Amino acid sequence: MDFYYGMAQLIGVHTLLGLSAYIVLLTGQVSMAQAAFFAIGAYTAGMLTVLAGWHIVPALGASSILGAASACAVGFPALRVKGLMLVIATLAFGEGVRLFFFNFDYQIAKGNIKVGPLGGEGFRQIRFFPENGWTTFDVMLFIWVFALLAMAVLWWFDRSRYGAVLRAVGEDELAAQSVGVNLTAVKVSAMTVGGAIAGVGGGLYAHYTTHIEHSSFNVLVATFAIAYPIVGGLSNVFGTLAAVIFVQAFLVEGLRDLGDWRNLLFGALIVLAMNLRPHGLFGRRHA
Amino acid sequence: MLELKAASRHFGGVRAVDGLDFRVAEGEIVGLIGPNGSGKSTAVNLVAGLFPLTSGSITFKGENLESLPMHKRLQLGIARTFQNIRLFSQLSVWQNLWVAQNSPEDRARRGFFARWLGGQKGVRREIAELLEFSGLAAKQDELAANLAFGEQRRLELARALATRPKLLLLDEPAAGMNSEEIGQLRSRILQLRSRGITIVLVEHVMELVMGVTDRIAVLNFGQKIAEGTPAQVQADPLVRKAYLGGA
Amino acid sequence: MLDFLQVVVDGLLFGATYALIGIGFTLVFGVMHKINMSYAAASIGGAYLGLLVLKVMAGAPAWLVFLCGFLGGGALGYVVYLACFHFIPYSSPLATLMSTVGMLLLIDEIIVHATEGRPLNYPAMFDDVMLRAGEFSLRGDLLLVFGVSVACMAGLLILLYRTKLGLATRAVSQQPTAAQLCGIRIARVNAVTFVITGLLGGIAGALIGASVGTLSPLLTLPLTVKGLIVTVIGGLGNVPGAIIAGLLVGAFENVFQLWRGVTERDLYVMLLLFVFLVFRPGGLFSKS
Repeated sequence: MDFYYGMAQLIGVHTLLGLSAYIVLLTGQVSMAQAAFFAIGAYTAGMLTVLAGWHIVPALGASSILGAASACAVGFPALRVKGLMLVIATLAFGEGVRLFFFNFDYQIAKGNIKVGPLGGEGFRQIRFFPENGWTTFDVMLFIWVFALLAMAVLWWFDRSRYGAVLRAVGEDELAAQSVGVNLTAVKVSAMTVGGAIAGVGGGLYAHYTTHIEHSSFNVLVATFAIAYPIVGGLSNVFGTLAAVIFVQAFLVEGLRDLGDWRNLLFGALIVLAMNLRPHGLFGRRHA
Repeated sequence: MLELKAASRHFGGVRAVDGLDFRVAEGEIVGLIGPNGSGKSTAVNLVAGLFPLTSGSITFKGENLESLPMHKRLQLGIARTFQNIRLFSQLSVWQNLWVAQNSPEDRARRGFFARWLGGQKGVRREIAELLEFSGLAAKQDELAANLAFGEQRRLELARALATRPKLLLLDEPAAGMNSEEIGQLRSRILQLRSRGITIVLVEHVMELVMGVTDRIAVLNFGQKIAEGTPAQVQADPLVRKAYLGGA
Repeated sequence: MLDFLQVVVDGLLFGATYALIGIGFTLVFGVMHKINMSYAAASIGGAYLGLLVLKVMAGAPAWLVFLCGFLGGGALGYVVYLACFHFIPYSSPLATLMSTVGMLLLIDEIIVHATEGRPLNYPAMFDDVMLRAGEFSLRGDLLLVFGVSVACMAGLLILLYRTKLGLATRAVSQQPTAAQLCGIRIARVNAVTFVITGLLGGIAGALIGASVGTLSPLLTLPLTVKGLIVTVIGGLGNVPGAIIAGLLVGAFENVFQLWRGVTERDLYVMLLLFVFLVFRPGGLFSKS
């Protein structure tokens, strides 16, 4: 059973990653930076529980806030960069953050061992869950509380005027402006919400894997982040969830016997999916 | 209400609008006509704020519009429709109108939270009125992409109305319409005037322009070559020359 | 000071390969208004294909390996075209983007599997030659890299500006519909663009392998990011811009390395990109 709980944990965390890209994609911004906000959340939460002894919940709150703040900071310059240039800029930002953590050391002594992030070695021993007696099942439920919460919030947004405005901006910025929509506010707010969600996801990721390092937040992860909503389709949040399950459960685990071939198949699957269903698994709304 | 003074807009060597003086008084319906390339759409785009003036000035109710971004101009009460319809095709008719409720009046009526994250109940009545006026009530949940051409045009107008404009810039709203539809459009425009909306109508379809405007300005090569009532403009030899060329 | 200038010169010479990669990205963008994210990976892939020659002919000369890298890159370019651009509708830019990312991952993984994750040695030419120009020493192999790159760029510019194919390509990039109405077969122009950029990429990959001495799949992602940085700095769609930007990035990279060491070097290259994005998003030569 532990295996399935572990799978569910992974799916939950990746759903948060995917949802963080979903809301940004609605506004027409393709952001390869979500993995970077995920990383910031991961290191933040890890450092707070390990180095400062915080409980996981406030630590996640902090990682959400830092994720949101860094996303907001990226959101403004991102406005100056259109379309494909934004992809490049966010890709470079993501790489920059990864390189930052590659060079980042902050260790303190706990008893007679040192804990904390150590550059290329990464950040080991993020053991809040085991140290506090959480079972795999407990952790899974905990993760899913947040994943479902994020889905509920985004579902609510989708049905509200905010959601309609997000999509209007994504479809036609000029028309949106001429009916009075403030593009800056809308696009930056979407980035910020995405950063908040990614921050929580990262914090949860750090704690369930107990070991993070710079390569856990590379271009591949940034790709997963946008792949889920694109492959799942942007009509609703369930598309993203479906894509996560499809990729992680069927592809990655279902083909586990093929061992190392998973990443290769992931690439091939994306190419195939985009050729067969360019508008995603769930397709466009109605028409 | 609206005043363009020596307004110019150059695109490199092309003088799309060149030293244009144009005034619109409150409550008027003013037509803006001219052959293709005469600068009509550019003039509308300048007032709407799509791009800045190269020189000259535009004031609205005494306020200089220079450097005001489009969404701020909307707050002042300037709305426009697009010549080639720009609806949010993936949103429903209802949502297209909902997205446009950004006027100061709408902001004052409901709090920030309610306006952005609240449900549809609070605005149901207003949007229903707009739908009724535009004859789109039956199609309110239809995706904009699925509407017939005439319906799309009506939605384009309705969406501009949802912003509660004081000045409405209509950019060739009658293009592609048959006589019956033009008649309906004419009556709608007159109804809008009676609600207190000032209208600038850029058009090629003479049937509409001559029949609904109080005054017409004629442009050619970015400059105003004639102005007057529909009858005066029709009789003006300069206008005839501009459209037909030669003597 | 001398050290500094030497480093700059070396960087400029090596930067010619970045220029080629940048040209590949920018040309595809110019013609199809899409980014082919797998381009750098395909270029390295082409270089690997060049190594197949050594499997067939043990003592094959370096230039033959380079030639096969060149041709291999062209072949891969066509494959990428078919997989990511031929069938996906023009109106789905997200789908195309995603498929090229998928292709990037695919090529990366294929390389890893084919080589069992071990880096491979790459033959070089003139690596034992050292020319002296006054106070500077110019590495022979870097001079070759520079020379071949320049020859390729010149070839490309001649192709673009003096041949009918080049004219057709430029026409398609400016007005695809009008070009079609003039009888230009867009699919053919697009496919050829991919083959040509693939050829350039293949030789760039081979030259990189030659000057570094080894090829490894770890090269693909940093090369992708650097290639994109060159494209942005040079201006999307601007081929001469990409050339100059490539040389600049090569030089800057070396200078950063001299100043802060290898581990922090890439971070600064990234910062260079952000400076451009903030102040000159249209590239070095934009009219903003």
